[in-house]
Amino acid sequence: MQPAHPTSPPHVDVKITSDPANIAEVRRTVEQVATSCGLSEQAVAEVGLCVNEALANVIRHAYEGAKDKPIVVRAHCQDRTLVVTIRDWGNGVNPATLPPKPFDPLEPGGLGLICLRRMMNEVTYVPQGDGGMLLVMKKAKQHPDAGRNSERVHE
Amino acid sequence: MSEGNHGGIDLVPTTRVDPATKSVVASIRGEIDLHNSPDLRGVLLELLAKHEPKRLVLNLSQVPYMDSSAIAVLVEALQKIRKSGGRIFLTDLQPRVKGLLEIARLDSIFVVAKDEAEAMAKQ
Repeated sequence: MQPAHPTSPPHVDVKITSDPANIAEVRRTVEQVATSCGLSEQAVAEVGLCVNEALANVIRHAYEGAKDKPIVVRAHCQDRTLVVTIRDWGNGVNPATLPPKPFDPLEPGGLGLICLRRMMNEVTYVPQGDGGMLLVMKKAKQHPDAGRNSERVHE
Repeated sequence: MSEGNHGGIDLVPTTRVDPATKSVVASIRGEIDLHNSPDLRGVLLELLAKHEPKRLVLNLSQVPYMDSSAIAVLVEALQKIRKSGGRIFLTDLQPRVKGLLEIARLDSIFVVAKDEAEAMAKQ
């Protein structure tokens, strides 16, 4: 993992390849930013899991398992909120537009998206002109609506 | 006896195998995500094939973190052991792992126990 633009905490701006081996380091790096932003220990853990799941979705679905594709992850504090963006240049499928399926604990597919919806205050998928996707996730320092968030899809 | 280190997943079961009760106690060590969950899958399926346990106790005291890919592996192992009438017990859950299991609603699918002793005592 190499910084795209060297920054100081509580900011992070990294470009990685879509190798699952990179997930843990990016997760920990964003967790450090979240901690610096003043999020609670539980909130930091939730952010870390959401970053993990979002990256895994990019690798598995947008890049269909390819390990050499680019992903840019950025995170910063803004008005008492941690903002994390994940940009890919994959197939452009918007997970938020996929038809929901009944949740079955014994069919754990889709659990990552459930985590994003439950743990982040805001999850926004922004399709990009080049066919990729920009995921914007926001986590407030104090969760004003625990268990609820808004999800917007920009066309 | 150790089942070996599989790409960062360190399954250290001194595999307490009890042939009389067909029980196996295994410990997993390390963070588990998409990178090494395939290794975990290999270890668990190998364990099930080798010992054909009716009771598989997984001590997760040294697993501070897992993601949905690890959950998928545990569910696959559960479905496999259920076919032969077996059960999986998860013990010593760390807070982040416990939280994910609750979100996945698997805390009621697996048998969750405080520790190995409680797991072995459960009917």
